[in-house]
Amino acid sequence: MKMEMETVMAELKLANTIAKERVADLAQRNGEPSWLQDSRNAAWEIYFQSPMPTTRDDDWRKTEIDNLDLSTFITVDPLKNKATKAPAMEILQSALAKLGEPAGLFVDDYESQTQFATINPELAKQGVIFLPLTEAIEKHPDLVKKIFETGKPLASDDKFTLMNKALFNSGLLLYVPKNVVVDGPFVSAVNLPVGPTGQAVFPRVVVVAEANSHVTVVSAFANTEAEATDKSVTGTTLSNSFFEITVGQGAKVTVMAVDKLSNSVFAVSRVRTHIHKDGVFNLTTAGLGGKQIKSDIETIMVEPGSHSDIRGVVLGDGSEHFSYNTIQEHTCPDTTSNINFRVALKDTSSSVYQGIVKVDKIAQRTNAFQSNKNLLLGTEARADSIPRLEILADDVKCSHGATVGPVDKEQLFYLNCRGLNLKEAEELIVRGFFVQILDDIEIKGAADWVGDLVADKIYK
Amino acid sequence: MTSPNTNKSTGSNSDSSAIPLLEIVDLHVNVEDKEILKGVNLTINAGEIHAIMGRNGSGKSTLSYALMGHPRYKVTSGKMLYKGQEISEMSPDQRAKLGLALAFQYPVSIPGVSVSNFLRKTVNAVRGRDIPVKEFRLELKALMAKLGVKDEFLSRYVNDGFSGGEKKRLEILQLSMLNPSLAILDETDSGLDIDALKTVSEGVNALSKADTAILLITHYQRMLNYVQPQFVHVFQDGKIVASGGSELALELEDRGYEWVTSEMQPTPGTGPNATKTSSSSSSSSPAVVGAK
Repeated sequence: MKMEMETVMAELKLANTIAKERVADLAQRNGEPSWLQDSRNAAWEIYFQSPMPTTRDDDWRKTEIDNLDLSTFITVDPLKNKATKAPAMEILQSALAKLGEPAGLFVDDYESQTQFATINPELAKQGVIFLPLTEAIEKHPDLVKKIFETGKPLASDDKFTLMNKALFNSGLLLYVPKNVVVDGPFVSAVNLPVGPTGQAVFPRVVVVAEANSHVTVVSAFANTEAEATDKSVTGTTLSNSFFEITVGQGAKVTVMAVDKLSNSVFAVSRVRTHIHKDGVFNLTTAGLGGKQIKSDIETIMVEPGSHSDIRGVVLGDGSEHFSYNTIQEHTCPDTTSNINFRVALKDTSSSVYQGIVKVDKIAQRTNAFQSNKNLLLGTEARADSIPRLEILADDVKCSHGATVGPVDKEQLFYLNCRGLNLKEAEELIVRGFFVQILDDIEIKGAADWVGDLVADKIYK
Repeated sequence: MTSPNTNKSTGSNSDSSAIPLLEIVDLHVNVEDKEILKGVNLTINAGEIHAIMGRNGSGKSTLSYALMGHPRYKVTSGKMLYKGQEISEMSPDQRAKLGLALAFQYPVSIPGVSVSNFLRKTVNAVRGRDIPVKEFRLELKALMAKLGVKDEFLSRYVNDGFSGGEKKRLEILQLSMLNPSLAILDETDSGLDIDALKTVSEGVNALSKADTAILLITHYQRMLNYVQPQFVHVFQDGKIVASGGSELALELEDRGYEWVTSEMQPTPGTGPNATKTSSSSSSSSPAVVGAK
């Protein structure tokens, strides 16, 4: 059976590499309309022209991008087999236990090679769409076409975003019509493939919240750890995901995104959000594992009154590396943004946080705040914090602050004096460090859920 | 001379055969290679309340940190015996488990850790067992009522955004829960208004039992109106230069620390309320005036 698999893999490898042929192949397999095929091809052309990033690029400093050989990956096929019930993914079970009844559930499980998608029928009746992207393209071609206008490949897109736009082979569409207020969260979980060969997955997640709608999304990326005996033959998995979120006028979108990946996954992701008049966007991202996590969070305040709150909870151990770039673009007057990013690093793990606040010349009365705190728990752990302000308007309030250092010795002593040993004291302090962020999460049960995931890793 | 404890064998609460609760002998302590404590002798028996007074910078707080084992405070010579056991090499958490507890002068905040979670974790650690939640709650609520601590306190982060008075109340609440055999109170009176001082002092008095002792560090006499020590020691330049009964505190309040230096040092024996000694190292009795 194993031999057979290897032969199949070898054959697949020829046809399914990251190559132009694969772009056409995917479009054909999915029976995509010509406009989408054109869009994929256009993305590929720009992708092909743009240079591969290196660690000399600011955005990729200290990552292992130089060792990532794209020619070694095969791109996995879209999952077509429908599961009759939600696959038993550990992270999904833990999420649902805390979050309660979801408004909808989407699972791509590469282990069982099945997909599962469901939505509360009441919401479907109100016009809410929650479907695998391929199915959404089939069933709602006009809507998808209209939505994809904003996601057209751009010369300014980075190489990995273009790669996703050309090769996306999974993902979903969440569409909330105007004035619909959704109570429970839409939960999406992806169980990434791990195997002997390098495999690449390109999830594309599109969320559109029309005027005055409210919606919550919880997304988890995880993978099943390979058996210890198989580790020597485990290839790297590349997960290149792209989230495009539109927050309509007066709408509110709340997102919790968790990456809990093993040491064989190289994850690149971009979350690009456009916020319209008086719209509110809250995102909490939790980086709880992965060989390399490279995440760009790009938030564009396009109309007055828009507001975004971006929070990060990052906990690394072993030799994990995390690279987070947040980009806040204030393109019009009277908008606000807050960023609060916290990173704690054990062992020899490392991180780079770069935060850019851009304020256009016309974007008067912008309020933008940025805070990044880093706790170094391992003596060889390393964190870099690079805040940047590009402010062209003159009537703005912007601030940024960053700290990097070990756990405060006086805090440790205080707890020691109360009977906790150094390890117990440190664990309590680190948990508290993150609780300050988790306490602000508005999604019911999410703080508990992520708090437990964090605690598991702290106490590991 | 009315000192109640001229030497340790006649100490009011001590039994000549019993091991003292705390015995500090010729203790020298460095902070970053600078000697701060220069030969401290002090014996505390169960059931006693001792006060250490002295100016800022005289080494009072250093003594409390050295007793708890702060890593920056290095014992270079001398002994710290707790119930007969040398504690210099022990970690602070081991000392806490032995029964020492310090109420900090400047308690640090632990953001993100709620007071209730913190209390449960630390009390369980010190007592060495998991107290059932219900039992813990009952005990805590009773103590909170006594100390005038409101319920909402429990959900706040430890010392985060606390006023000076709230911090001190929390320190005493913690010590009350930990129930130490030696409570060291480092300037617990500072930052308290009169009402708070009264409540906190009542909490401190409640810590005093036949088998426990209190070491109170202060530079004002005012707390001693509420918590009455049997022994008062004056700290100066890293050691105890005078010891006496509670009246010594009043004398100090009246005449200032200058009096101890100017009057007592050159001509031993003239201090109205203190005894003298010719050698600080030969005596661990608290009721002496250092004459070096």
